[in-house]
Amino acid sequence: MASVARIRNRIRRLRFDHDEMTQEELAKRAGCTRQTIIALEQGKYVPSIELAFGIAKAFGVTLEEVFQYEETG
Amino acid sequence: MAPLQKRAWYGLGMGVIWVIAIVVVFILKGGIGTFNEDTGFRLIYSGLFIGGLLAYFLIMRKPGQVDERDRLIMGRSPVVQLWAVIISVVIWMIALTESYWDEGHIPVVFPYLISNSLFIVNTLAHSVGILIGYQRGVSHG
Repeated sequence: MASVARIRNRIRRLRFDHDEMTQEELAKRAGCTRQTIIALEQGKYVPSIELAFGIAKAFGVTLEEVFQYEETG
Repeated sequence: MAPLQKRAWYGLGMGVIWVIAIVVVFILKGGIGTFNEDTGFRLIYSGLFIGGLLAYFLIMRKPGQVDERDRLIMGRSPVVQLWAVIISVVIWMIALTESYWDEGHIPVVFPYLISNSLFIVNTLAHSVGILIGYQRGVSHG
């Protein structure tokens, strides 16, 4: 049976770990809207590689520390 | 709520009012039967049609800040528009065929109304497609 990939993220956790960064501030740093950050945290959006790197850079961490690739099924 | 999503709601609301206004005008003016004879009726209808289209474009022209997620959602809304137009064409085809089969011809006013209705459906489906995109979520790949 084919496995289904799921992209998880730790954006909310990382925001709080970085002096409780607001969604607005992260959005500004990453180059997207606050609503996109909200959608990311709710798991309703998988970003482009460009935005993913932008978010990782905003936190000063690697891509894998922000996004995790999981196979299920 | 994203600015584009907000505008899509405004567009949908305006679109519903637009459709209701056109239907009310048709009912008050006597329907298809008087459409050919009454110039004033046709002028009011044309004004409503063009006015509604312009109003929609004005609402949607500047959705504010748009990022990759918004662009992705906008890029997928045409699928909803396509299906809405296809379904509308099918409905028109069946309705007119069944109504005028015995007569052997369809009144000339109907191609005009069909094309206008498809414009309206396509316009409303644009907002619906955007709102569905925000509701269901999208992803890259």
